[in-house]
Amino acid sequence: MTDEAFSHRDRCAIAGIATTDFSRNSGRSDLTLALQASLAAIDDAGLVPGDIDGIVRCDLDLVRHNDLVHGLGIGDLAYMGDVSVGGVAPCAMVGQAVAAILAGMAKNVLVFRSLNGRSGRRYGRSSATQRTVGGNNTYDEFFAPYGLLTSGQIFALIAQRHMAEFGTTENELAQIALTCRARANANPGAQMHDRQLTIDDYLESRMIASPLRLFDFCLETDGACAVVVTSAERAKDGPQRPALIRAVAQGSPRNPQPGVQFPVLMRETITTLPAKATADRLYARAGMGPDEIDVAQLYDCFSITVLLQLEDFGFCAKGEGGPFVASGAIDLGGAIPINTSGGHLSDGYVHGMSHIVEAVRQIRGTSTSQVDGAETCLVTSTPLPPGSALILRAI
Amino acid sequence: MEAPRRLLPETEDIDTRGFWEGTRQGELRLLECSSCGAILHMPSAYCHDCGSWDTRWKTISNLGRLHSWTVVHHQVHPGFPTPYTVVLVDVDDAPGARLVGYLDGAPALVCGQAMRARFEVLSDEVTLAQWDPA
Repeated sequence: MTDEAFSHRDRCAIAGIATTDFSRNSGRSDLTLALQASLAAIDDAGLVPGDIDGIVRCDLDLVRHNDLVHGLGIGDLAYMGDVSVGGVAPCAMVGQAVAAILAGMAKNVLVFRSLNGRSGRRYGRSSATQRTVGGNNTYDEFFAPYGLLTSGQIFALIAQRHMAEFGTTENELAQIALTCRARANANPGAQMHDRQLTIDDYLESRMIASPLRLFDFCLETDGACAVVVTSAERAKDGPQRPALIRAVAQGSPRNPQPGVQFPVLMRETITTLPAKATADRLYARAGMGPDEIDVAQLYDCFSITVLLQLEDFGFCAKGEGGPFVASGAIDLGGAIPINTSGGHLSDGYVHGMSHIVEAVRQIRGTSTSQVDGAETCLVTSTPLPPGSALILRAI
Repeated sequence: MEAPRRLLPETEDIDTRGFWEGTRQGELRLLECSSCGAILHMPSAYCHDCGSWDTRWKTISNLGRLHSWTVVHHQVHPGFPTPYTVVLVDVDDAPGARLVGYLDGAPALVCGQAMRARFEVLSDEVTLAQWDPA
């Protein structure tokens, strides 16, 4: 890879950001949430809806391109992109916006995610609604009939294996939940802003799927996030400090296994995520390594997911994620502060999109848990299937 | 009131039905590449290792080792009252292949322990391969 001259490096930027409020019951449609976040992000970028000529959406979103084109009054949209799947999508969605801009297919691209993830369709519930499951290359027939029904149960199997191989403990996992909660306590917009969490609260919380407890799980959330991606030159003319997109990458491990999520349990190792392949490519494209990352927003559908990514992105050695988080390394002032809005565990779970918004806040210097002098921020969208990630930096 | 119904596997999928033909006979069968011998699990008509389209169902031993497990305490489906345990088993005869099983309650388990397959007949069409501590 000719990483020194990698062609998209620093050439695009995130110029506008917005979120709706995060709640358990928004009382609004997915489309209304998407419109609110989109209008606010476009305004934040100093633009009007008619300036948007491209939209990238996530394949799990109920809101389609035409819904936003019509709803925002955009008119003729030049570029429409879809990215799969779910939580893997956000950083790759920004990547697709970058590709469209550099290919001359669009100038100002809106990237959004909207879901009523608590009051509407809940991902924490089993999706098995018929008596016979599987077939058609879902491979669910090998899993659901045995009661393996949710992403949380998959990560419980992964966490148990990590504990067996490396001696990881529940007290170490707890540090991830407690760290995210402390950041949420400082963020008035976070759903858990007013709720303290102690180690005793954590250890006394109910087991969901051992070894994962209630507070190892993210918050099913109603809410939407949107960002506006544009060229670095145009971003410099906007009202905000641009967050340059240093590099973006997608990745998947060798023999990743087919299907949506359950077959990942057939991978050669279940304690390494697609984050590893994604990280290697991202760092090469960025011309940076983990030592040059000031702050990170790590995809935290579950606490164990964060621990695995700390290893896969090279912040600590394989198997040492437990002692690493117990050392305070992920806290403010630590080697790599994480999830400074409270993350999916304590702010809100908008499938990785809220992490991009918080990363831009860190680059602008406006986070409620601002890391002093932060000039680079890593964002990951690397749960189970493939993965994507990006690095933002200040000008 | 009718008891909550378990979920049944689709047993006639063109790529995976050989597994369920095996369990109905009381055998564990995994798909094997006829050319290079690679185990193709999840089952695939094409061998990604050697490029062959020639595959066959191979009967393997009923023995394995526990790769991981979870005790499910939070119920998400009426057919699976809690607590129950999901086991993930490395199959002895097929390096790299794993199968999943269901155990009632929360038995004491440890990664690496020996496991043995048992066949649970649910209907004329459906027999599940389950795994017990050996």
